[in-house]
Amino acid sequence: MLTYVARRFAELVFVLVAVLILAFAASRLMPGDPIGAMLSDRSGDAALEQRLRAEYGLDAPVLQQFWIYVRGVARGEFGLSYRFVGVPVVEVLGDSLKISPLLALSALTLAVPLGVAAGALAALRHNRWTDTSVMAVMIAGISVPNFASAAFLVYLLAIRLGALPVAGWGTLQQTVLPVIVLALQPTAYIARLARTFMLEVLAQDYIRTARAKGMRERIVILRHALPNILVPLLTTIGIIFGTLLTSTFVVETIFNIPGLGRQAIQAIFARDYPVTIAVILLFTFFYAGINLLVDLLYGVIDPRIRLEARR
Amino acid sequence: MGWITRNTGLAVGLGLLCAAGAPADAKSLRLNITADPSQMDPITESELIAGDIIRNMYEDLAGIDKDGKIIPVLATEWQAMDGGKTWRFKLRQGVKFHTGREMKAADVKRSFEALLTPALKPGASQVYLKDVVGAQDMLDGKATALAGVKVVDDTTVDITFNKPDVLFPIYPVRIFDADVLSHGADWFLKESAGTGPFQFVDWKRGSEVRVKAFPGYWGGAPKIDEVVFLVVPNIETSLSLYETKGLDLVEVPPSGTRAVLKDPRYENQTLRVPAAQINYLGMNQNLYAPFKDKRVREAINLAIDRDGFVKGILGGAGLPLYGSITPGVAGYAPVPKIPYDPERAKQLLAEAGFPGGKGLPPIDIQATAVQKDDLAAFADQFKKVLGMDVNVKVVERATHIKQMNAGEVAFFPWGWTADYPDALYFLSQLWDSRSPYNRVRWKNADYDKLIDQAQGEPNAEARYKIYAQAEKIILDDVGMAPLYIRTQIWLKQPNVKNVYLTPFRMLPYAKVEME
Amino acid sequence: MSAVELASERERDELRRRFLRNRNAVIGGALVGLAVLTAVFATTLAPHSYTETNMLLVWGEPDADHVLGLDSLGRDILSRILVGARVSLGVAASVLALTLAVGTAVGMAAAYFGGWIDTVTMRAADIILAFPELIFAILLAAVLGPGVLTVVLALSTTWWPGVARLARSLVLGLRTEAFVEAAVASGTRPAAIMLRHLLPNIVAPLIVRASIGVGFIITAEATLSFLGLGVQEPTPSWGGMIRDGLTVMRTDPYLAIATSAVLGVTILGFNLLGDGLRDLLDPRARDR
Repeated sequence: MLTYVARRFAELVFVLVAVLILAFAASRLMPGDPIGAMLSDRSGDAALEQRLRAEYGLDAPVLQQFWIYVRGVARGEFGLSYRFVGVPVVEVLGDSLKISPLLALSALTLAVPLGVAAGALAALRHNRWTDTSVMAVMIAGISVPNFASAAFLVYLLAIRLGALPVAGWGTLQQTVLPVIVLALQPTAYIARLARTFMLEVLAQDYIRTARAKGMRERIVILRHALPNILVPLLTTIGIIFGTLLTSTFVVETIFNIPGLGRQAIQAIFARDYPVTIAVILLFTFFYAGINLLVDLLYGVIDPRIRLEARR
Repeated sequence: MGWITRNTGLAVGLGLLCAAGAPADAKSLRLNITADPSQMDPITESELIAGDIIRNMYEDLAGIDKDGKIIPVLATEWQAMDGGKTWRFKLRQGVKFHTGREMKAADVKRSFEALLTPALKPGASQVYLKDVVGAQDMLDGKATALAGVKVVDDTTVDITFNKPDVLFPIYPVRIFDADVLSHGADWFLKESAGTGPFQFVDWKRGSEVRVKAFPGYWGGAPKIDEVVFLVVPNIETSLSLYETKGLDLVEVPPSGTRAVLKDPRYENQTLRVPAAQINYLGMNQNLYAPFKDKRVREAINLAIDRDGFVKGILGGAGLPLYGSITPGVAGYAPVPKIPYDPERAKQLLAEAGFPGGKGLPPIDIQATAVQKDDLAAFADQFKKVLGMDVNVKVVERATHIKQMNAGEVAFFPWGWTADYPDALYFLSQLWDSRSPYNRVRWKNADYDKLIDQAQGEPNAEARYKIYAQAEKIILDDVGMAPLYIRTQIWLKQPNVKNVYLTPFRMLPYAKVEME
Repeated sequence: MSAVELASERERDELRRRFLRNRNAVIGGALVGLAVLTAVFATTLAPHSYTETNMLLVWGEPDADHVLGLDSLGRDILSRILVGARVSLGVAASVLALTLAVGTAVGMAAAYFGGWIDTVTMRAADIILAFPELIFAILLAAVLGPGVLTVVLALSTTWWPGVARLARSLVLGLRTEAFVEAAVASGTRPAAIMLRHLLPNIVAPLIVRASIGVGFIITAEATLSFLGLGVQEPTPSWGGMIRDGLTVMRTDPYLAIATSAVLGVTILGFNLLGDGLRDLLDPRARDR
């Protein structure tokens, strides 16, 4: 078991290094150069350009730049932002590091109970009207991209009814719409899976036994059925969390939330290499890290996986 | 887990606090900015949004009043000596920096020197100091003191130039307490060193910039306690915030002007002032042969429906532009209107040898993503009226600017904002063949001569006559096609007073009162 | 007719009947069919030109002539939505084709040859899969610059690893089958084995996977366009139109809402079809 964990961990490190190289390469390959962005209107001034380039170490050969960057990362320094002159990357990311995970977690907290409940309900009323309608809603939920559903919800709830604020972050009311929009797809996903698992569980012997013994339906569901679908669901929930954490950028852009996702997009567009690379590393670390945890968890839960670990 | 519950609690708490609003007696002026500023200090300052914030904290030798006239700020009077090659400034007495020190002539010299020190990455202002004797040496790293600035006494300073520069006093060059520079490279994130009515408090990136009143301000302590610049890229959000009194002032970007101008609720709360910014269509004759023919350029000029453009694309928040200077800028004089004349345009094109557009090679009209609507509109217009095959090309901003500055873009709509309140800024920076910002690479020796003449002409009236002559040369030659002037649109809550919007954007909020 | 041909004809009939009985497949199929037809005949169906601007009609309200109103340049919204189908479906089709081709080939080769081919390709796949979904595509798009080709390349590069992994595990499952061992023993060339024996047996799950993935691909393209990295003006793209529409929701909601509805329904159609196909082709997921 321990070797398995160690191996997976080593793979994670390998992947992160590869991602670092790729992200660095991508940043240097992007058209449009940050010195140009800094100079903006004054890009005619060649002397100034030379000076700035030297300042930021961008006149050194690429490999050397890479080496300097890696050394910095090893020390925990991610450099200075290009867009916010003189400000360390870590400070630029500062608050957004707290906001995005909070957003993702809130959406997950909404999606899991809702999804499980909807899926379980559909399974219990299998092939009846409730099943069909719940599933129809769920499949629609998966289908509509979150910026499209945002359009509808914003128009209906914020503009037409004025019940909720259009955007922003800070008050409780402002969290409602973004969290709902972000939770739509995960809810639908979880619901479908919950339904499938529930159907399998309901066909099991011990459920029939429990019912035959005369147990109340509610107890049967809550104490025998539900717990048995939560375990397989757990890994999916973990993966969904990982995906949520790293795809908040659309919702953040629409609702003007100063989160990590929006920072990433803005950094890419502004050619702010240090911030871009740092955010990509962070995102990948979250995503790959959570996937690894989920895999390990699954390995703990299902011993067969561990044995099959040889690839 | 604890981290999560703690932060949720924090978020909820903060949320409730924000919902409750700041304490009732704190007068806080809240306005929006569409993005984070890129700089927060007077040395690296080089962009508009940063400027809007920084000018409330850092001041220049001279400034403008609400009518756009030059007024003394940190200098009380100035006098040209030696045929205009030296300017003597008498400084205001009793001016305090936010750091507590009193401003003296030596501070002017030290500010200039900081603005010319390469290691500090000076932004826009080093361009204005370029002609001071010894400036180039400093920029090249050969000197650490500025030879051309002489401290005569505590309140008098002489500045000498390599060649006469009549407009120097109105150049935006900030004066600050250079002592802070020894406090670290990010001093501007922790302290404030200007003379302005407000001082820096905090910058939460992605969220807001906060400045508080400076009680020792020479112009009198502000009547409000603080100004908060909220980062709100989305106009919808800004308008919602304004309606719920979350914002006191809203700068309405072009995409929001329709919503604002259409809504009767905002009628008495709208501030409308044309910007000191020209927008033109550049035609680089070196890159597209047909542009060499004046008739082709004229045809394009006449094929532009300026009124339609202002109404459609600008939503009415603008004015057609027929010249190269905007109203409200010293030296402006009305020029003849350019009609929208598709028939004459077609005729001219035919005369030039391209009847119905036949024979014209395809051309790209290029700009940044923000202008994609403009580009699509132009492309379609020229196709419709002239039969030109125009292809829309959207390019990343830094690349586009670099290409324009290198004279590599053939056909592009672009603008130019006045940094200081004199028309010479437009004329010298854009169309003088020696200027690095002459992106169309239009050349005319007579024009250049007139600019030189103007730069040495201390008499304003005489100078303005030269401006008119120069402007006529480029307009007659259709060196570029003038397009439009944007109207700045702001919303202001009724209880906010003494907010001044000028063609050069908002004046500092020193005199604002809130009931 | 021989017994074999009769049998396969009966199989096909059975398949068709099962298809028609599956609600998801039918509805999904209809929607997809509609979308495809719209994409193909967009310019014929469109009542107006999708590029012609009209300054006087900017943000015009819907009327008989312009059923969905007009956009920021006075262009007919309905026409632009119809032509936008071309972009969405065109990109989806290209990405699908590329991903299936490359992914299947790589996966099969990795499983069949093993060794360093397997290690290298699967490591590459791991690295790409480690990137959070769209971040890789966005990064690639930033490097390549906006445009249709970029979107196709970016999305294909993001998705082939998943297909490759699936193909590989499917082929690994088949390696011990009798007919494969027979083919290897009889000296057939690897390429022939892969094409004639392995491929037909893994096609079904791959198609299921593909049909489920189309919805994601369309969403990804729309997201890239939404961020400004996709198709450029004046070609309309649904994602870009939604972004433009969102900025003026207050006064002119039609652009965002109509485009969102169309995008949603299209993706819904593909997802339903995918579900239906899965029911039909994947023997394991029968209890729906």
